[in-house]
Amino acid sequence: MSRRIFAASFAMVALWSAAAGAERQCRASRNLLELNNPLEIARAAVAEERQLRIVAMGSSSTQGYGASNPKYSYPAQLQIKLEAAMPGVDVHVYNKGVGGQDAPEMVDRMRADVKPEHAHLVVWQVGTNSAIRRDPLTRFAEKLRSGIDIGRSLGANFVMMNLQYVPAVVALPDEEDYARVMAEVAREKGAGLFRRFEIMRSWYNDGMPYAQFVTNDGLHLNDFGQKCIGKLLSMSILEAIRPRRLTGAPNTPH
Amino acid sequence: MRLGYQWVRMTEAVPPYLAPGRDLRLDFFRGLALWFIYLDHVPNNIVSWLTVRNYGFSDATEIFVFISGYTAVIAYSRMMLREGWPRTAVRIYRRVWQLYVAHILLFVAFTAQIAYVSIARDTPQLIEEMQLMGLGENPYRAIVETVLLKFRPVNLDVLPLYIVLLAAFPFALPALLRWPYTVILASIAFYAATCHFNWNLPGYPDGKVWFFNPMAWQVVFYSGAVLAVVAHRLEIFDRWRWVAASLAIAYLAFAGFIALSWHYNSLERLIPDWIARQIYPIDKTNIDILRFVHFLAMAWLVRLAVRPNARFLKWRVLEPIRRCGEHSLQIFCLGTFLALTAQIIVARYEDSIVSQLLVSLAGLAIMSLAAYAASWFKAESRGTRT
Repeated sequence: MSRRIFAASFAMVALWSAAAGAERQCRASRNLLELNNPLEIARAAVAEERQLRIVAMGSSSTQGYGASNPKYSYPAQLQIKLEAAMPGVDVHVYNKGVGGQDAPEMVDRMRADVKPEHAHLVVWQVGTNSAIRRDPLTRFAEKLRSGIDIGRSLGANFVMMNLQYVPAVVALPDEEDYARVMAEVAREKGAGLFRRFEIMRSWYNDGMPYAQFVTNDGLHLNDFGQKCIGKLLSMSILEAIRPRRLTGAPNTPH
Repeated sequence: MRLGYQWVRMTEAVPPYLAPGRDLRLDFFRGLALWFIYLDHVPNNIVSWLTVRNYGFSDATEIFVFISGYTAVIAYSRMMLREGWPRTAVRIYRRVWQLYVAHILLFVAFTAQIAYVSIARDTPQLIEEMQLMGLGENPYRAIVETVLLKFRPVNLDVLPLYIVLLAAFPFALPALLRWPYTVILASIAFYAATCHFNWNLPGYPDGKVWFFNPMAWQVVFYSGAVLAVVAHRLEIFDRWRWVAASLAIAYLAFAGFIALSWHYNSLERLIPDWIARQIYPIDKTNIDILRFVHFLAMAWLVRLAVRPNARFLKWRVLEPIRRCGEHSLQIFCLGTFLALTAQIIVARYEDSIVSQLLVSLAGLAIMSLAAYAASWFKAESRGTRT
């Protein structure tokens, strides 16, 4: 009797996983990966100094909360992918993610976190916690501007990474306003914009279930999500700093 | 032995902690939780579809912590009544020490396994990949932080939680037996305050906090502990047990639907924003109230469905699970270690389903064999002592 229950449950699991296990791949359309910024400083650093120093400023996404292993966080993945794509270039990605923070707290530590690393590029993952906390949009925009100003005064290009497309964020009434403000500030301040929200939305609309890229708290990226964002971000950056290449496949060493 | 009992108010039913004999449900469900933890710790394991985590909000951690609280009262309350508080506190601290030693040993074995595999397969990137953050960069500091329980690499954060909970337990135990309801109210208040003020203990590297926040998770531990004192009084609710059961089933169905929606976008689109706004994020670090209630609903149904003398608890096929539950500390450590092995093997075979099935079965088999061996040693040492 009990054996039969065991066998039945195993069969159930096998069927279930066959149905649910149709994994979809990590990808995004080329126009979504466009940063709309030439990242001159980063490009010059790669071309002339053969090095690229990146500060990943952000909250829990950056820190890697939700990944089973810190090496899966998108900053760590970014370093791995950039190194593979640019042999001979010394790539450093410094992880400055602190869970729970958003624009105001990050602006306060921008100088202290960017200056000692002599960053050529700051990837600033921001907006999600502001949207969850419902910080006023005007204040949010102001903080973004002053954060970018501090980083640029230290000689760094900026890539803004906007909100993640996950149940906890999608349910908010005005999450797209925060994404819009980020895009506006990026344009105004000459910063690049990595459209994480739109990219992840395209995954969802292509039929990728949340379980594949979000942890079951409905907020944080899991291993797949983190790795995929790291990979796509590296493609975006490579595309920006080597604009003459026409086709994708930035992973191919030259 | 009877003397000390007098100040405990005796009702017609016996409180669980004074009941004679061993409650097999505790062994069984703790063993099951250990099996689940093992299966869930192998990333993307299809066998983990057998575990509770895919069917609702809570997972095996709640089961494990709840039963730990319950058994802590069973194990130490009688001793306190018989031999007094100081001796009991010392005994509890001996257990805390055992847990601590086990955790440190596990840390060493875990790290050594990664180092061994990296050297044997000549793949230094594994050390980097599993990076025990900072251990490579600043080993001295990392060792200090490990000893302080602040540095807890992947999957090594359940035991530190248990250590902290048990270390505080002697100070709650007297109150627990005398004023159980006050204790549970205090525990809930502390939990609420922790969530509200966002308290947590510091971790390493700086800026990190405990993945399982002890100040929040204590509420699960003390629910178990308090029920070990007052569970017999739950019988007054039995008049409405089907009402409560219906509510529990409705809640589990709701949670099940939400959990299913993470796998099917067509279901996900049916959830209105205002509901999603209420439920997300479902925090694990501070055990979200939805998770806690989900666990309580399951526990209530289990209480109705599985009596202490339920026949299936004695089935031979299920004995391995019970044996694992009897030796939870050893089996937990072994399971964590094996889950890492399993992860490495599955990665080597490119996540193939056959490898997932095989490592799952092999891991559970090794855990069970170890549990039988532990029972055997225990019986032997008991035999020689008396």
